[in-house]
Amino acid sequence: MVLYSFYIFDRHTECIYSRRWTPARPTSSSSKARPQSEGSIASNGDNSTQQARKHTDDEKLIFGLVFSLRNMVQKLGGEDDTFLSYRTTEYKLHYYETPTRMKFVMLTDTKQNNLRPYLHQIWANLYVEYVVKNPLAPVEHPGGIGVANEMFERGLETFFVAVLPA
Amino acid sequence: MVVFALFIISKSGGLIYNREFHTGLNKLSSNDLLMVAGSFHGMHEITKQLCPNPPPPTIPSNTAPTPFAARATGLEVLETSQFRMQCFQTLTGVKFLLFTEPQQPNIDTILKKIYELYADFVMKNPFYTVEMPVRCEKFDRGLDGFVKVRG
Repeated sequence: MVLYSFYIFDRHTECIYSRRWTPARPTSSSSKARPQSEGSIASNGDNSTQQARKHTDDEKLIFGLVFSLRNMVQKLGGEDDTFLSYRTTEYKLHYYETPTRMKFVMLTDTKQNNLRPYLHQIWANLYVEYVVKNPLAPVEHPGGIGVANEMFERGLETFFVAVLPA
Repeated sequence: MVVFALFIISKSGGLIYNREFHTGLNKLSSNDLLMVAGSFHGMHEITKQLCPNPPPPTIPSNTAPTPFAARATGLEVLETSQFRMQCFQTLTGVKFLLFTEPQQPNIDTILKKIYELYADFVMKNPFYTVEMPVRCEKFDRGLDGFVKVRG
């Protein structure tokens, strides 16, 4: 199985945790897709900041996308319908939303079956255990404070290696 | 087999045809349907951009862009707990959305057949203007015959 990326969004539309396993994108395609005012100046010098900006751009795009897809699905299928996943020829996006409106999103290759049970497990066994029950972590996580602690990271690592279908 | 509905979205994002075959989806007003179609058009474009590992560009930049080159396609299958939506985009940018039951096999062939009907009865209709709502009786009847016979 190929994992591309994994995101957690809180109920305030903010990305509180993200992780990617993909190599950096070629700059030409992204600059064509989203023109940036200072992109031409920054293209040679600080590649890292540009890369970081692209990551946050992607997070916002993904959030907006799953939010509107979810609304569209509820409009068409009724209030109790839930959006599970979508697939393109290149990747597949899996989606899980907790009752508290936290959103777990995972991008994988297209051959995967629905990963919603696994996303649920990440929430129940890792997020709740290591982030919610952590007495040092704040209740809300603005900017991702308190989410990426050592236990959670290590738990995710072993989860991806051991539990997810190879 | 249950096919709920068929939408056809023009290349500029307008809903040019919608047809309900079977109840199961919410009844939406035509305004809402237009909004759903328009927002889907945008979302489809975003799913194209989100491609995590774009294929390396093999075409030299001085050649004209060709629609036949391999390029990222947007959303193809959307799964929810109550329905499954398959999107087929033609090379000219028209999108066919077919809403079916979640466990529906062979949607590809159904969509190909619907595309054929569209090409035969809509595009070859001399009174049809492109990008305009489809009002062709033969297309309607062809769809009815095809979808209902299989149902």
